[in-house]
Amino acid sequence: MKEITIDVLKDAASRLMFEMTEEEYVKLFQELSSLTAQMEAISQCEDLDGYEPMTFPYPVQTTYLREDEPLPPLKREEALSNAGSTLEGQIKLPKVVG
Amino acid sequence: MNIEAVIGIEIHVELKTKSKMFSAAPNAFSKTPNTNVAPLDMAFPGTMPVVNRQAVVHGIRVAYALHMEIARTLNFDRKNYFYADLPKGFQITQRFHPLGKEGYVTIFDLQNQPKKIAIERLHLEEDTCKQLHFRDYSLLDYNRAGVPLLEIVSYPDIHNGVEAVRYIEAIRNIVVYSRASDGKMEEGSLRCDVNVSIRPQGASFFGPKVELKNLNSLKNIQTAIDYEIARQSQCLASGMAIVQDTRRYDEAKGKTVSMRLKTEAIDYKYFPEPNILPIVLSEAMIEEAIATCPELYEAKKERYERMGLTPSQASVLLSDPAMASYFEAASEGSENPKTVANLLIVEVNAYLNKTGNGANISRFPLPPVSLKRIAAYREDGYTHQQCVEILEYCLREKARPEDALVALGITKADNDEEAIAAVVETVLAANPQSVSDFQAGKDRALSFLVGQAVKAAKGTLNPSVLAKALRERLNQEK
Amino acid sequence: MSFLDRSIREIHEAYLRGETTPYELTLEAIARAKANQDNALETLDENGALTFAKTLMDPEPENLLWGIPYFAKDNLSTKGIETTASSNILAGYIPVFDATVIAKLKKRKAVLLGKTTLDELGMGGTGTTGRKGMTYNPYAPNHDRLIGGSSSGSAAVTAASIVPFALGSDTGDSIRKPASYAGLVGFKPTWGRISRYGLFPFAPSLDHVGFFTRNVDDAAILLQALAGRDEKDATSSDQEVKDYPVLQKLSPLGYKVAVIAEIVDSLTDPVMKEKFAASVAEMKQAGIQVDEVHLPHELLSSVYATYLVISSAEATSNNANLDGIKFGPYYEGKSYQEVMCKARTKGFSELTKRRFVIGSFALMAENQEKLFLRAQKNRARIVAAIESIFSQYDLIYGPAAPSVAPMVHPKTEMNTIAENHLAIGNFGGFPSLSLPLALEEGLPLGVNLTGRIFEEEKVLALASWLESYTGLAGLSALNAKEKQ
Repeated sequence: MKEITIDVLKDAASRLMFEMTEEEYVKLFQELSSLTAQMEAISQCEDLDGYEPMTFPYPVQTTYLREDEPLPPLKREEALSNAGSTLEGQIKLPKVVG
Repeated sequence: MNIEAVIGIEIHVELKTKSKMFSAAPNAFSKTPNTNVAPLDMAFPGTMPVVNRQAVVHGIRVAYALHMEIARTLNFDRKNYFYADLPKGFQITQRFHPLGKEGYVTIFDLQNQPKKIAIERLHLEEDTCKQLHFRDYSLLDYNRAGVPLLEIVSYPDIHNGVEAVRYIEAIRNIVVYSRASDGKMEEGSLRCDVNVSIRPQGASFFGPKVELKNLNSLKNIQTAIDYEIARQSQCLASGMAIVQDTRRYDEAKGKTVSMRLKTEAIDYKYFPEPNILPIVLSEAMIEEAIATCPELYEAKKERYERMGLTPSQASVLLSDPAMASYFEAASEGSENPKTVANLLIVEVNAYLNKTGNGANISRFPLPPVSLKRIAAYREDGYTHQQCVEILEYCLREKARPEDALVALGITKADNDEEAIAAVVETVLAANPQSVSDFQAGKDRALSFLVGQAVKAAKGTLNPSVLAKALRERLNQEK
Repeated sequence: MSFLDRSIREIHEAYLRGETTPYELTLEAIARAKANQDNALETLDENGALTFAKTLMDPEPENLLWGIPYFAKDNLSTKGIETTASSNILAGYIPVFDATVIAKLKKRKAVLLGKTTLDELGMGGTGTTGRKGMTYNPYAPNHDRLIGGSSSGSAAVTAASIVPFALGSDTGDSIRKPASYAGLVGFKPTWGRISRYGLFPFAPSLDHVGFFTRNVDDAAILLQALAGRDEKDATSSDQEVKDYPVLQKLSPLGYKVAVIAEIVDSLTDPVMKEKFAASVAEMKQAGIQVDEVHLPHELLSSVYATYLVISSAEATSNNANLDGIKFGPYYEGKSYQEVMCKARTKGFSELTKRRFVIGSFALMAENQEKLFLRAQKNRARIVAAIESIFSQYDLIYGPAAPSVAPMVHPKTEMNTIAENHLAIGNFGGFPSLSLPLALEEGLPLGVNLTGRIFEEEKVLALASWLESYTGLAGLSALNAKEKQ
């Protein structure tokens, strides 16, 4: 597992597109360290690997697939009604490069 | 040292469905941005994905055509990253359990020997929104966001540009003829990322992998790969390191240009999509998808050849699905489909080329039934030249072949033995040099003489009978 | 006494008899909402509610929800009404569609009064992290006690008798814990029972839509109204929706009930211990089989870490759509990254950011095996242990919280087994309901009933029996003194 350092946390936050203050990183560091310790304790449980990772609360499958029939889309004004930066019926961003 | 190129190709195909992959917004072309958008496509909070049946059906058919193992349960995963064109901040894809795995497609290599290209995986996913770039800003159009995509990933079994092109053509033929996709590279409904590396012939390791982007035609792909192989070989020869990077093909310069270095791989933090339950694909559903798949390229080609067409005629017709279906309509119940094929390949194509600018068979004004009639005239003994005149008249006057026949006053070329003999004698007398050439064993002289005879008959005599008579007469002289 | 203090069924009968109208009741509820000091509301849609209530002229005898005023948690999408999930990143966001539960209630002509506060984006269990600050517990007029969260405002408006019910959501215990602190019936049915379409996701594999009521019958009425397959939520179940209002009246005498000893043993409040033991004794007395069962202490202690890893991992992905580009406040920047980064830095509170980093860390390729997958395996281990109890018992009965609502200061340690065990109901998607057991110095103590998946009727039937035992049906902060 990746070693938890403040730099690792800063890098993780910046990849999540936000910044935090130094004090917040310290608190996060403590919280995450304590959590990984608890997870380490959990892994002491011998039969843990006998379980499949659980994605859904109970075993469930379906055969349902949506029929390929289009429904009326949003009106353009509706679709863009919450966007803070628009131009000519589109969302406008600073030039995207790369 | 002999150098071997190792090429792997990832193909993204936009699926032709009525609605999007996970939302019910129309999957249709619109000139007006942001008019084919459902709340999910803009990732409004609380929206949930619901899988489109037809996209799955297309996926099953293509997987089957590629001889793949088809998953019995459909699972989806999230690929997490931030980008301007990614509304949800993740893409729903099939990382852990692709719909299809371990298949192949057969192509012909440089020596025209059949070669199997192994295919690693085929999976369903969704497209991003479209960005339009201007001088100092970009605009986002969500019409494309959520369009179903099929991704097909080959193993690195391809060794040169020609094989790459043939591989892509083979995949394109499958997706186009199964009607899963338009498969148009120029319009972006079929997109290729190509990974190229080189190594000493027969080595088992791989060289640094270079990813090629912006390859929007088969021609570009071949040129870019050939350029890239030469560039990397030169690097190796001159002792320079080959850098693992992503390169863009610059069409104007015919070169690949580095876009960015591949530093550490991006960690996409894949995990199973918790809003889509595992979907059981029953045997019955899979069988039905396969059974109802429209006839594929290879099957059509074999059938056309059985109908008497040459392999090259079949290929020409099949290079355009619309041409193929026109052919099928015009040759249905016909005694000699080869005649229909000939008219299409030679005369109709000539007409389309003359019309110019993207004219294609789908805009050809003559209905298949009329072409079928003209072909029947040809078989009935009318000359090729007469049939062409009928065709031209029909196109010019928007007339039916029956009416053209009357209007042009064309009568069937006959097999009148006396008339034929007369023409033969005239031609032989006028061309003593060719006659002696023929006697001296020059077979080419015969075709010249036949040509002269057909010309002299002015279309009134059956050319094949004329040719036969000419040959017999010359053989008598021998 | 106002009709607002009554049950849904009583209000319905009053409408039928013409004793009051939806318009009158809506006016009164708005007045109560305005007078309330608990900071429970994100939006009060006074005009919308009154306009709609005015159109309700002829009571529908078969439709118990006709004209019933209610509030919804502000993480349920409401067309045309600002929905923020109590986060600044969604300030001003006006949805273009209704959540399925909102649409269903609209169709039944219930009157939506507005939206209630929550811990930001549903993350947190204190009712203190929303953009408007702390939501107070109506039982503590001095504002010195927590109401819990994340469905803080919905608990407050129901406990303060502003409405007979409010919608909430529950990912770890976000309905059932605040219900316990506010003396309410709080119910999250089986995962898949109620559509989540339009619920702003926190962790979809754990998220549930549910509700607060002041009696069990109302919970049964709401379950019947809201349950059912929804093709917009592909995880919603097509299991038959039953007649819960009738079934909840059935006798629970044949049921076998398990009490997990380790959870009860972790209680430290003597009153809670005593009241809980008395209720068990009463059940046995009545002929209900109640047995003590055991689970490893280690297993129960692992619930919180498991919950935190899974919920944070899912949350960091679900909330990646919040970037200020398509909705929410937009900030200018030189690049799209700067635009996103400003929106997310300013838009999220500290707790939310910490959870996102934790979740992201747990999903990193090199950590995923040791954190995310291990947590998912441990979730399976815990659910298997509970399933083995359910192979012999119909229901599990236990405390809903260790004690009464905690003081704001000093902060109580929140890592006991009794504090965190309700998340087990989310791990396995089990139907789980909290209801008041007793009052301790005027403050409610709550208990919890959890059943097998899709057996909501058994949960409701025993809850109904307990409700008659406690005599606390209809409990609110207004009448608690009389009920003591």
